[in-house]
Amino acid sequence: MEETLLKIKEVRKHFGGVYAVNGVSLNIKGGGIWGLVGPNGSGKTTLFNTILGLHRPDEGAIYFNGKRINNLAPHQIYTLGLVNAFQIPRLFHKLSILDNMLLAARGHQGDRLLNSLFLRKNWQEQEVELADKAMKILESLELDHLALSPAGELSGGQRKLLEVGRGLMASPTLLLLDEPAAGVNPNLGKKIFEGINDLSRDGLSFFIIEHRLEILFDFAHWVYVMDKGKIVVEGKPEEVLEDPTFYQVYLGE
Amino acid sequence: MDPLVYVLDLVVFIGIFGIVSLSLNLEFGFAGLANFGKVAFFLVGAYTYAILSQMGVPFYLCLIAGALTSAITGFLVSLPTLRLRMDYLAIVVLTFGEILRLIIKSEAWIAGGAWGIAVPRAISVAGASARVDVLVNIGLVYFCLFICFMVVQRLSNSPYGRVLRAIREDEVAAEALGKNKAKYRAQTLALGSAMAGVAGGLFAQYIQFIDPYMFMPMLTFTVWIMVILGGPANNWGALLGAALVQIFDKGALIAKDYLTLPIDPTDLQYILFGVLMILVLLYRPGGLLKESQVKTKAMERIRCGRNAVKNKGSP
Repeated sequence: MEETLLKIKEVRKHFGGVYAVNGVSLNIKGGGIWGLVGPNGSGKTTLFNTILGLHRPDEGAIYFNGKRINNLAPHQIYTLGLVNAFQIPRLFHKLSILDNMLLAARGHQGDRLLNSLFLRKNWQEQEVELADKAMKILESLELDHLALSPAGELSGGQRKLLEVGRGLMASPTLLLLDEPAAGVNPNLGKKIFEGINDLSRDGLSFFIIEHRLEILFDFAHWVYVMDKGKIVVEGKPEEVLEDPTFYQVYLGE
Repeated sequence: MDPLVYVLDLVVFIGIFGIVSLSLNLEFGFAGLANFGKVAFFLVGAYTYAILSQMGVPFYLCLIAGALTSAITGFLVSLPTLRLRMDYLAIVVLTFGEILRLIIKSEAWIAGGAWGIAVPRAISVAGASARVDVLVNIGLVYFCLFICFMVVQRLSNSPYGRVLRAIREDEVAAEALGKNKAKYRAQTLALGSAMAGVAGGLFAQYIQFIDPYMFMPMLTFTVWIMVILGGPANNWGALLGAALVQIFDKGALIAKDYLTLPIDPTDLQYILFGVLMILVLLYRPGGLLKESQVKTKAMERIRCGRNAVKNKGSP
């Protein structure tokens, strides 16, 4: 619990004249569920994309496990174990659901040209294990019966589940989830969070954006509230709920 | 001319263009790379073969050298465009092919310029008839085609092929899943170009004479028609497309000799190609054969398990 996993220092990112992220600093320690809430347009997703290397920050620094990552490419950041599930699922529609899952595995030896061409022994066994793992995750998301159908055939909610499943498939150290329960039926949304809770007890850390505060506040142990590109309140869920600024942000003056 | 030689000649061309079609299928069908300069890499292979074989280098080394120079060219050309959107690659390689062709045409010291260059046959059997000669070529071409087919088939049924398809579907998502898209694109272009280079070498030694007018941009589009017609991301489809287009192509040439039509059969052929493409894109936008699935040991195991459960369920 004590090691700092993700450290963000005074990060700014602007688009045109608007600062979407305007000087955010935060420290996420290993283990647990960390929440990020705030009204629409407060810069939450931009902050996530900046952490992931999809945007370069204009100022500031981001460290993951003590290593500076804000100048790395997205694929390098992923390899370090900092993984994300998109808010709007970005699946490979023509590929099967199982293919989508296997693509998310970190360190698949078959992803290398020479291994795939000549040294099939180097990855075939590994892939069998990965496929078993993928099927287990799919089972928990109730998608296992569709494993071999194209991802494009899934409904909106199922796509969301698969996006989360891909994140889990990577066995990350820190998983960023952008509204994992949005568009999923309420029961399943709750189940997703129960699953997240179990995994966090096993040592996996989560950083989650979620609009459904009632679910998030049940599970998160620390919540950041963002408004207009800045963190305005942070604390344990019960403390945040008692903070007047929190209500101002959501309900206006 | 011996009518059988017509047919055998067609078989050789199907083999040569089968290789080019497979290479474009790897680049476009699997990786989504819009290589509109295919002819450039075919040209590099053909001229490398021609120049080296005139210097007395054995044919297999000429073919390998053609593959290597073509692969390096493919890699270098792709460098400035790998990080850009796909349309830029199309523009760059399309113009590159034309520039290269014009250089060869104007610089006579390289390989005879506009007059072309004679190329010795790879394997010449002394005193053999035309039939035997073509049969030997069929053997050589289909040996190369077999190797190329095994390579692309293996890749398409491997995790590597899965990554290529993922980059084609959504490159941002693929990057966010840890795939270095620039690396995969460069490798694919190098490999695809190597195959086109081999095909170029085979082409040069088969027709025994090449000049810059044989490498017009139209050739690139003919190969595109093969891939789109046969079905992108299906290697059998690429071969089927190559066969159909070649039969059509050579058929028009033969028709020219035997039919009197109000219009030139070659022109008619282009019109028919156009109509055919429109029909395919309207009614079978995925081509004649469907995209193949990734088949690996792990995938097959899950598929078999699935079927076993299904069979148990239904008495």
